[in-house]
Amino acid sequence: MPQPVCRGTRAGRARIARALAGCAAALVLMPAALAQEITVPHRVAAGAGVSIQTSGSGAATLYLVGPGTAIKRGIRLGTPAEVSGADLRNAGRYKVMVRAGGEAHTANFFVVPGAAQSISFLARPSRVPVAARDAISGVAFVFDNFQNLTTAPASVTFNLAIADGPSITRKTESHEGIAWTRLDSARKAGAAQFVASVPGVEVRRVVQQVASDPCELRFHIKPGKSGIEAETDPIRDCSGNAVPDGTIVTFTENDGRTRSTVDARIKRGVAQAQLPAAPGATITVASGVVAGNEVRVGGEP
Amino acid sequence: MTIRRLGLAALMAIATLVLLAAGYASSGGAASHANTPEAAVRSLYDHVRTRDFPGAFRYVAVASNTDVERFTRDVAGRDGSLRTLSTLQDVNTSVLHENDTEAAVRANTHWSSAVGSLYDSRELRVVRENEDWKVVWPSDKTPNVPPQVLALNFLRWEIIHPAAGEDWGAQNAEAPRVRILNMTPLQHDLGNGLQGVMILGEIVNEDTVPGFVSVTATLLGANGESLGQETAFDKISHTLLPREVSPFRIDFPGAKLADIRKVTMEPTALLVPASADPVIGVLHQRIETDARGHKILKGELVNQSGETVNIPHVIATFYNEAGKVIWVSDGYVDHALQPQIPEPFQLEVRDDMGATPRFRVTVNQYTIERQGA
Amino acid sequence: MKILSRVLLSLAACFGLGMAGVAAPSDSAPGASAPAIALDVSQAAPRQVEDSTVRAITRDYGRAWQALAAALGQNRADLLPEGFVGVARQKLSERIAEQQRSGLVTRVIDHGHRLQAVFYSPEGSAMELRDTARYEIQLVDGGSVVSTETVTASYAVLMTVTDDRWKVRVLQETE
Repeated sequence: MPQPVCRGTRAGRARIARALAGCAAALVLMPAALAQEITVPHRVAAGAGVSIQTSGSGAATLYLVGPGTAIKRGIRLGTPAEVSGADLRNAGRYKVMVRAGGEAHTANFFVVPGAAQSISFLARPSRVPVAARDAISGVAFVFDNFQNLTTAPASVTFNLAIADGPSITRKTESHEGIAWTRLDSARKAGAAQFVASVPGVEVRRVVQQVASDPCELRFHIKPGKSGIEAETDPIRDCSGNAVPDGTIVTFTENDGRTRSTVDARIKRGVAQAQLPAAPGATITVASGVVAGNEVRVGGEP
Repeated sequence: MTIRRLGLAALMAIATLVLLAAGYASSGGAASHANTPEAAVRSLYDHVRTRDFPGAFRYVAVASNTDVERFTRDVAGRDGSLRTLSTLQDVNTSVLHENDTEAAVRANTHWSSAVGSLYDSRELRVVRENEDWKVVWPSDKTPNVPPQVLALNFLRWEIIHPAAGEDWGAQNAEAPRVRILNMTPLQHDLGNGLQGVMILGEIVNEDTVPGFVSVTATLLGANGESLGQETAFDKISHTLLPREVSPFRIDFPGAKLADIRKVTMEPTALLVPASADPVIGVLHQRIETDARGHKILKGELVNQSGETVNIPHVIATFYNEAGKVIWVSDGYVDHALQPQIPEPFQLEVRDDMGATPRFRVTVNQYTIERQGA
Repeated sequence: MKILSRVLLSLAACFGLGMAGVAAPSDSAPGASAPAIALDVSQAAPRQVEDSTVRAITRDYGRAWQALAAALGQNRADLLPEGFVGVARQKLSERIAEQQRSGLVTRVIDHGHRLQAVFYSPEGSAMELRDTARYEIQLVDGGSVVSTETVTASYAVLMTVTDDRWKVRVLQETE
């Protein structure tokens, strides 16, 4: 119950004593408050309305304060005060206070989250190399209809699937609103569908599984318009996936006196470069840390 | 009233003529006279500085076998090259040798440009034509690209971002993974006469998407206090394609290596739209020694794609025997790269790096966006 | 008559002193010092919490409560983005809008938080924590304190990385 606030000032001790005595006297001499009692359920489901029972009679002011709510309105004591479900959507503690004639009564109740109705799904990473262990993580945050974190356990299913490949399914239970899993990436490159679901709700993400480093890098040369044209064979990783277009492949030609380099890009699976026609020069190819074959200009590969 | 009007008109006509005459006189008139070889070179560049290219051309010898259009393209630049964005600030001349009919004059020019100061040095032949000295301007021998139709196989990355409005958990395309391959702090002259510490190294894009990368270094002192923080600015290729490696150099003017206890490196990468083109070959790379005895890295750039590269930026990384980066230098080429047309470049090399330093040359480029590109 | 005048004088004194209490500087004002935060990450899983993250969470959670106190105390939803994002921000904004409609403000005098990290996401962008918070809360109606309460409350907190900072995405009081 809130009390009148009497705090010390710079006034003398005697003056404070007089004031405190006056406070007490004032409380005694106040008109007797009408006896009240507030009755509320201890726990209410989110979004459900509540009826606040009061005893006594006469006019009073109802305060209802909670997460997302701060209501003040007049009520008649002895008549139930209805609070709509719209005012009780947010989970947490609510405080009810009824003031009448300088007297206040308070009560607390909890709004608890409802059943799992929505998921916020964090799927990481958005790109992952193929055949990587525990490389994909999924975290599902389970909410009810009113965006309250569902703290009761909920059954969450994770599923990772790629076209024409086997899918992986993990069933788990949320703990304090969270369920999570870790999965290996598949051996096949492509867009994997990563789905988190609770009964009636599913959320889909895409994880791009991309080829790893080139496995065997080979190229050949042929005479070109202004020198030599070097071109690789289709560049694949060790699982047979095409290395993504745009990946840099470096051709280096060394003729003993000068060196020529071209940072070519893989396009449509192969990389091409034009190099000077220097008889006897050696040409090598590399992509990242992977080196390929060597070709001598005018000689056998 | 009519008389007053006529008087006013006559006055304006006279004033106009006087101004025209003054302008004509100040430009040297139709005939340009230079009494010495050095004066001829200086006068030519004075007109270039005011972008009066026909005026400058009046100091060009007939023996140059060029015309005013070609001369203007050579001096003022073309194809959106760096030279088109440059202004001549200063010229220093010195006569190398001279006789009654011919002289050699070295012209060191200083240009201000969009990427900072550019310095050029030319040895010009000056000949006597009648009573005047004229400059034999070495005409631009760059061949023109033959008219042709090139079928291009463009590869470009675009990014679709999530729609506006917050949807937490909704997936976004992540920034590319980048990694610093190596890093070396070095106490050295920073190239502008200032001593300082530079952080040299390399960064790689390990992802399958392009990234706009940046590297920030923080120097920490003996007590862990920050001595300075700088970010690689132009000695780095900021746009890195998948598996592309770029050197970086971060300068800390005034810093002393002995004061530094630790260096923290922070590479950052943003996912950006990018094109896989153009591909620029770096041909015939070699180290030569110039007339002053300094080492120079020379070569030719060849644009192997179908569109003009406006501003090529050459970055050279030098390594020691252990493969560690020991120097990074860069330079801009002030000519645009036309498809398939070789364009020479040269970079200064530190003289203390041995006779045959290991190096790698990469080319960064800036291209004016074309409609439909 | 004398007694009545004395009672009135005392009531006036009482009211005046009460108002002095109301007008006292509030901890919820912007610029107030951050509340004491004790963070325990020993139970966090599946990812181990980095030292830098401990520092960031401690700092940013304190900032969030400062923002909360300032926003509820001044009915200014524009102060919330400093520490809140998403659902938490939306719910607090709703509360502030309702306070404005009802002519109420809430004054929060923060006495500190004991935080325990219970989940740290594998990729390091989200953390769930349990907070045991102690604070004094006053409901002020038209300038008068109508309720004062010292509360020890438990919260489920979800913090996520937003704009290079940790912000509170869920702040849900639990039983």
